[in-house]
Amino acid sequence: MVAPSKPVTSKPDEVKPEMGRTVRFTIHRCDGPGKAARWESFDVPIEPGSNIISVLQYIAAHPVTIEGKRTTPVVWDSGCLEEVCGACTMVINGRVRQSCSCLIDHIAPRNGDEVTLEPMSKFPVVRDLWVDRERLFYNLRRVKAWVPIDGTYDLGAGPTENPDKQETRYKLSTCMSCGCCLEACPQFNLEEDPEHWDSAFIGAHAISQARLFNEHETGKQLKRDRLDELMGPGGVSDCGNAQNCVKVCPKEIPLTESIGAMGRAVTIHSLARFFAGKK
Amino acid sequence: MSNEKSSAVAAQHFLLRRLHSLTGIVPIGVFLIAHLTTNSSLLWGKIGLRGEPGPDGQPYTFQDGGVAYFWKEVFWINSQIPHLLLIEITLWVSIAFHSILGWYYATTGKSNVKRYPHQDNWRYSLQRWSGYIGIFFIFYHVATLRWGWTWLVPSGTKWSHDYSVSTLAAALQGSTEGWTAAGLLVSLFYFVGITLLVFHFANGLWTAAITWGLTVSEAAQKRWGFVCAALGVGMMGLAWASLYGALAVNPQDARVVEEQLLESKGKSGVPTPTGRETAAPADGD
Ligand code: HEM
Ligand code: HEM
Ligand code: SF4
Ligand code: SF4
Ligand code: FES
Repeated sequence: MVAPSKPVTSKPDEVKPEMGRTVRFTIHRCDGPGKAARWESFDVPIEPGSNIISVLQYIAAHPVTIEGKRTTPVVWDSGCLEEVCGACTMVINGRVRQSCSCLIDHIAPRNGDEVTLEPMSKFPVVRDLWVDRERLFYNLRRVKAWVPIDGTYDLGAGPTENPDKQETRYKLSTCMSCGCCLEACPQFNLEEDPEHWDSAFIGAHAISQARLFNEHETGKQLKRDRLDELMGPGGVSDCGNAQNCVKVCPKEIPLTESIGAMGRAVTIHSLARFFAGKK
Repeated sequence: MSNEKSSAVAAQHFLLRRLHSLTGIVPIGVFLIAHLTTNSSLLWGKIGLRGEPGPDGQPYTFQDGGVAYFWKEVFWINSQIPHLLLIEITLWVSIAFHSILGWYYATTGKSNVKRYPHQDNWRYSLQRWSGYIGIFFIFYHVATLRWGWTWLVPSGTKWSHDYSVSTLAAALQGSTEGWTAAGLLVSLFYFVGITLLVFHFANGLWTAAITWGLTVSEAAQKRWGFVCAALGVGMMGLAWASLYGALAVNPQDARVVEEQLLESKGKSGVPTPTGRETAAPADGD
């Protein structure tokens, strides 16, 4: 078992990458739910332009640790390979990000540099670097993050959209459900029991998506349901304003603005409920 | 999910959260501003007197002016504010409510400043630590100075309205004759307690604006941040001035000023807050 190296912060393009270098990857491994975890290190020759995924592919083809011990290939998840699906999210050198868009030239430009890879800690590990993000999607369902248009007859054309709101919404709509904002959030913590998902903190992504669909002229129809959910246990008021989410979001979604906006919406919603006497 | 979860549960959760936020500002925060302003007069009181001399006609020294002004403030508060006990109980209940809920809320998070050492994240953690430590300070502070738990006071003295400065100084310095080791500890605890609580209030004011949805845009949050920081710096100045004032004053010198003031109040027939220590008849409360 190897202790993880000190997290190195990536400073892109500060150092010109060395050709033909070898980089050491220390990986947090686990064979499956409930199994003991361990660290394993691998030395990997780096080709120009390679990313974490290509390194993992190399390790899969040469699963031999630095001690010369043959081991199982490291398991990871990925999809698009262009930072739009979110599946490959992991903790790289102590910071959560997508592994497909993480270039080795940026984070380990010198011969002998070290990189640590860990799975996200806020979701149950399936195996090695692969986690189960089901709770993230469940939380999107909690706030009904969709436009209600399913039915048995043609609903006709929708209402006109305001271009200003469209602009606000565009940025919010780029969320790829990656989970970075949840991994970095001190209020969002591992909860393996789905029984507790309804009352545990919902997370910045879902708060932001509730805002996205409340700003949509048709999506608005479910506004009250969304606000009710955000008022309840695990809702927007459980955010502690650490503002890590906005700093790690790869899509630079203004999550803290969404949190403020939903705080305001919920304030107004509750006052309206109190004074109007109905939902 | 929302259709299964009763909206009564949601409303109750929401109400508690917002009451927690509200009580931090009103009444606790507002009290804190007033309290620190009054207390810091131990330092700036001479200026507040605007040249008014002591009962013997002599002008006060800078230090004695602070003593006299603070003494009069305490006297005024305790004789002129109606329903004072009711106000105090409201304050105590609010502090208890905010602290118990705050403690519980704080335990629902897991601090991660090592991995994400951002300034905002540091404040998130500090907000919780200042709460944890702050409640011990407040409890000790109120128990010793307001509830008269003298067994917790190294000097064994009881704080009283009539001798508001000398008993305060003795409680902090450890004895009526000057500094003791225990007094140093108490004073250090005060320094940590008041510093953390001022931070807690200023930062809480910043987060409260997001909680309630007053500041939404990043620019607005930043602007409000400057306002809260300025308020925090100002209050920190008042808090440190209060502590400095209480530590710099000599309990015995203060006692002389207090006796003089008590005597003059007694002569003028104005009952002191406790009504006991002077000869003047106080007809009923
Ligand atoms: C004494 C023990 C205390 C504890 C344990 C405590 C705890 C907390 C915690 C954990 C929060 C953050 C809530 C959240 O973001 O979810 C908070 C917020 C706050 N606290 Fe305290 N607190 C204490 C005392 C005080 C005092 C004495 C004051 C006033 C001077 C105060 C004023 C505030 C304010 C204004 C907020 C902001 C509320 C918001 O963000 O909406 N607290 N407190
Ligand atoms: C060095 C700074 C401080 C000094 C010299 C000081 C002094 C005093 C004194 C002399 C009393 C007794 C008043 C009375 O019983 O009428 C008192 C009460 C009290 N203090 Fe402080 N204080 C300081 C800081 C603080 C801080 C930071 C807090 C935090 C919230 C605080 C909260 C209270 C409370 C809640 C009471 C009880 C008020 C009442 O029930 O009348 N104090 N303080
Ligand atoms: S601002 Fe709220 S949601 Fe974002 S990281 Fe902090 S606690 Fe989590
Ligand atoms: S809000 Fe950003 S960090 Fe969070 S899931 Fe969406 S894209 Fe990822
Ligand atoms: S594989 Fe889709 S974001 Fe990396």
